[in-house]
Amino acid sequence: MTTILLIKSVDQQRTVREAFDSIIDADEPVHFLRLPTIRCLGPLIQEINPMIEYGVEYTINCLPEGYDVADLVEFAVEVDADRICIGISDRTVTGKARIDDLMESLLLDEKLSGDIIVGEDIIALEELEYET
Amino acid sequence: MLRIEFQIRPAGISSKFFAIDEQVTSLEIDNALPVTGGSVFLSLTVQFAADISEESLSSQLPNVRIMDMSEAGVTQHTYYLNILTDLSDASVLSLLTENRAIPHRIVCQHSYLEVVASVCDWNHLKEVAGTIEDEHGPLELVGTTQTESIGFPLGGNKIKQSMSGKLSDKQLEVLETAYRMGYFKVPQEVTAEEISKELDISRSTLSERLRRVEHNLCALLFGPRT
Repeated sequence: MTTILLIKSVDQQRTVREAFDSIIDADEPVHFLRLPTIRCLGPLIQEINPMIEYGVEYTINCLPEGYDVADLVEFAVEVDADRICIGISDRTVTGKARIDDLMESLLLDEKLSGDIIVGEDIIALEELEYET
Repeated sequence: MLRIEFQIRPAGISSKFFAIDEQVTSLEIDNALPVTGGSVFLSLTVQFAADISEESLSSQLPNVRIMDMSEAGVTQHTYYLNILTDLSDASVLSLLTENRAIPHRIVCQHSYLEVVASVCDWNHLKEVAGTIEDEHGPLELVGTTQTESIGFPLGGNKIKQSMSGKLSDKQLEVLETAYRMGYFKVPQEVTAEEISKELDISRSTLSERLRRVEHNLCALLFGPRT
C-alpha cells in the first residue's frame, strides 16, 4: 500500500506517529507531501525517523504554490497512492475533526472514492480509487 | 459510520422565521412528523432577541399554523413551538431522510443553517452532499467523526426541554462553563479555582451551584427523595 502523508505543519509529530503506529505497515512506501508554506521537513523526519523506527522507504515532495485539490489528486495518481493521510489540526466544539478547504475538496471530489477513517490525530482516506 | 457537520445558507422554515420583523437569534428543529397532504408537523425551539406573542408571530407567518407555543423558561426570549407547515419548509430534513442519512441536529443562526447527520461512508457522504447542494446551493463541510452507533434522530434538545425550569440561569452557566473548560473530563483539565475565577465567583459559590445542579439532575432522573 502506498501512502501519501500530507504535512500542513512541522508540528505534526502526533499525526505522523499515529500514521506509522496504526495505519502504515513496515516496508510500505510513504510519500511525505508538504504544503509550499512549509520550508523544510528535516526536524520532523529526524524526530520520527521512519526508516529506522518503522522500516519504511519514503520520499519528500511539495505541492506547488497556489495548489488546489487537483494538484494533490494528480500527485496521488502519479504515485498510485492507496491512501492519503491528513492531520487533524483542530476540532469543533462537539469534538468532530474540523475539515479545512483542502480536505473538503478531497472528500467531495467526484473522481476519488474509497473509505474514510477518522482517528485521534489523523483522517485517512483508504483504498483509494481514481475515476479517470 | 460517519457523523458529519455541515453548513448551508438558511432554507425552508428557518428562512421564514428569519424574515419576520422581530429578530430571531436561533432556530432549532427538534422533531418532525410528516402529515398526509404534503404537510409536516414541526417542533421547534426558537430564540428571539425580545419577547414575542403568538398573535404577532402568526400574522407574520401566513402559511404556517402555530399549534402550540410556550416559553422555554430557563433561557430568555426562547419559545417551544409546534407548527403545521408545508413539507417543503423541511426540505433539508426531507433530503437527508430520502437519502438514508440520519439527521441529528438542524439549527439556524443568522447567516447559515448548521446540520449534523450520520451517513454510512464516504460515498454516502458525497451522495448526500451532492443532493443538498443541488437543492440549496454550496455546502461547507465543517467536521466529521467516526461513530459506531447511529444515534437518535433529532430531538437532541429534548433534555434541555425536560430541564426547563429545573435549573436556574446561574446554575446553567456554572454547569456549561465547567463542562466547556473540561472540569468533568478524566483527568480534569481545569481546577475549581480556575472555573471560579472565570466566572468571578467564590469557590464555595461554585461548589454550591454545582451540587444544586447535581441534586436537580438526580431528582429528574430518580424522582424526589423519600
